[in-house]
Amino acid sequence: MSTEQHAEPHVPAQRTEGPDLSTAATGPVAAPLLEVEDLKVHFPIRRGIVVERVVGHVQAVDGVGLSIDSGGTYGLVGESGCGKTTFGRAVLRLEEPTGGRVRLGGDEVTAMKGEKLRRFRSKMQMVFQDPLGSLNPRHNVDMLLSEPLKVHGVGSKAERRKLAVETLDAVGLPKSVLERFPHEFSGGQRQRLGIARALMLRPDLIVCDEPVSALDVSIQAQVMNLLDELQDEFGLTYLVIAHDLAVVRHLSDRVGVMYLGKLVEEADSETIYEHPRHPYTKALLSAVPQPDPEVEANRERIILKGDLPSPANPPSGCRFRTRCPWAEDICAEVEPEWREAASGHKVACHFDL
Amino acid sequence: MALLEVEDLRVAFGASTAVDGVSFSVPEGKVVGLVGESGCGKSVTSLAIMGLLPKRRNGRPAPVTASRPVTVEAADGGTVAAPTGPPPSATAVAPVLRRRGSGADVSGRAVFDGTDLLSLAPAAMRRRRGKDLAMVFQDPLSSLNPVVPIGRQITEVLERHRGLKGDKASKEAANLLDRVGIPDPTRRLKEYPHQLSGGMRQRVLIAIAVACNPRLLIADEPTTALDVTIQAQILELLKDLVEAEGTALLMITHDLGVVAGICDEVNVLYSGRVVESAPVRELFAAPTHPYTVGLLGSIPRLDLPIHEPLTPIRGSIADVIRWHDGCAFAPRCDRVAAPCVAGEPALVGAVHAHRCVMAEEVA
Repeated sequence: MSTEQHAEPHVPAQRTEGPDLSTAATGPVAAPLLEVEDLKVHFPIRRGIVVERVVGHVQAVDGVGLSIDSGGTYGLVGESGCGKTTFGRAVLRLEEPTGGRVRLGGDEVTAMKGEKLRRFRSKMQMVFQDPLGSLNPRHNVDMLLSEPLKVHGVGSKAERRKLAVETLDAVGLPKSVLERFPHEFSGGQRQRLGIARALMLRPDLIVCDEPVSALDVSIQAQVMNLLDELQDEFGLTYLVIAHDLAVVRHLSDRVGVMYLGKLVEEADSETIYEHPRHPYTKALLSAVPQPDPEVEANRERIILKGDLPSPANPPSGCRFRTRCPWAEDICAEVEPEWREAASGHKVACHFDL
Repeated sequence: MALLEVEDLRVAFGASTAVDGVSFSVPEGKVVGLVGESGCGKSVTSLAIMGLLPKRRNGRPAPVTASRPVTVEAADGGTVAAPTGPPPSATAVAPVLRRRGSGADVSGRAVFDGTDLLSLAPAAMRRRRGKDLAMVFQDPLSSLNPVVPIGRQITEVLERHRGLKGDKASKEAANLLDRVGIPDPTRRLKEYPHQLSGGMRQRVLIAIAVACNPRLLIADEPTTALDVTIQAQILELLKDLVEAEGTALLMITHDLGVVAGICDEVNVLYSGRVVESAPVRELFAAPTHPYTVGLLGSIPRLDLPIHEPLTPIRGSIADVIRWHDGCAFAPRCDRVAAPCVAGEPALVGAVHAHRCVMAEEVA
């Protein structure tokens, strides 16, 4: 790997072409752009004041594999603490994986390091949950948007500004905002800025971590529609991480449900919402309040008991068994395998529910 | 007469108006929703009812006797009920702690069981708060005292309002925790808020709120900070408590899904005013105000065809409330026409009321 310290010629060459909007638009080729195999992120728990000992590991992500087709959207849902954000960060190497492989467009991201990894980052970007927290308050929009271009040595100052204006236009903000600072914008506009910044390098993959959960309902819809439009315009591939099942369903082609560091179910978004097979997915779906009193009055709720167990000490066998209404003895003893229950529908449960 | 009647409530912080004439009522034993996005004034409304807003200290009139409430002209032309005399301690401490001119101007009436809460003296309000009417806040971690065991935080209410002490109070606190579904309540009494999960903390907060069997419970976004499965637990708990005790619940939320599930009546707020109010089924079956229509069109739904395009409301809420010279929603409204900006739109209709001059023509 150390022999690859010098950057491949094609990456910077492609990036220095300047403001070519179509570089990333490779068309809807149905080949997986992102492939993740058995990704693990374990955080050590340290104890002791003078001598630190590792007393255990928080298994934030424990063997998650998935693939996203080029131009597709994969939605990862789960509750807080299930490891979905850590997974997204590990895919981008913002978190060092403990094990497993990540390949983006055939290049193995997990094997890269140093300058090569730094240059490769232009292909994969992230949109964060909190738009105010992720934008430097002392940078105006011009600086915020040109920063990634400077870091990757793209274009001259004038070209960078031109690209910034084009990108602002794409996210629905006028040119006049270039001189303004993050605090001068509303929440929805800030999230547009966050998206614009992620777009500046025309990446192939954008990881959207809770892209709309900090926004008001009417603004959420605007940003979701924007993400849809940008996907078509720039040929983007999304990994959308969210806790809101309705948001994920709206944005994604394929959906994976995570629980305590593992995927418990994965299917096309239509299938998973019509015929959920895992008890956790069923419970999640039944818990989402619907804006319709008739539906609400007649639906059957599966109310899960208790809270998420600690990921430092997950339950034996099936991790969901402590809260599962259908759990039996076998669930505590044998970990259910990740099996294909129907074509394209994977589930980790002993039973066919 | 409803249990709580809020009439023309206005709250201003200096020059900015947060609530601009809100009226609604909460009948006995009913669940009433107050819905709107951030900045619409829903939380300020609840704080004003509970008497939890800091009183404005600048240029206030002299204390008056409670028997003769006096109103004075406020800067914006509305009338402000003169607050009754401050407690001696407040006069001594407040000027040091608070800048002159900070705090809220509250006017209007909030009649709870025949008494106007807004005109009550602070001491009288303290006797009612936590007993007759109680509140559940959004963020349970910052509403609980981090250095006091939760048991003590519950017994405090029991001592204050029900005169229970010692073992009796502890026993009752354990009962309360049990009632809100916390397992092993006696052990939990000794624990601190940080030792509990988010859902548990919210249960503790609910336990404190229902400790004295209040007649009115105000819940301000009680499930917003929680995960969906925990949200379902908490909503179920609130529903059960309300049904079992006949408590009236004022539910403040931005989530129309929550409203559909729990509320009997709904008031939709925009920019400090009620723009539509109706029984829950009527509101969802026939939303009349364009803002309500827009909100409903903005929500991705699990029961509609997949990838159905959303129809969001354009723009975003303005900082400055302007209802005087026209509809505040007009800049974002698709149905906007000349009459919308020709004057203040009135709330029309009795059961299903709306504040839109174009509603009749469109519908």
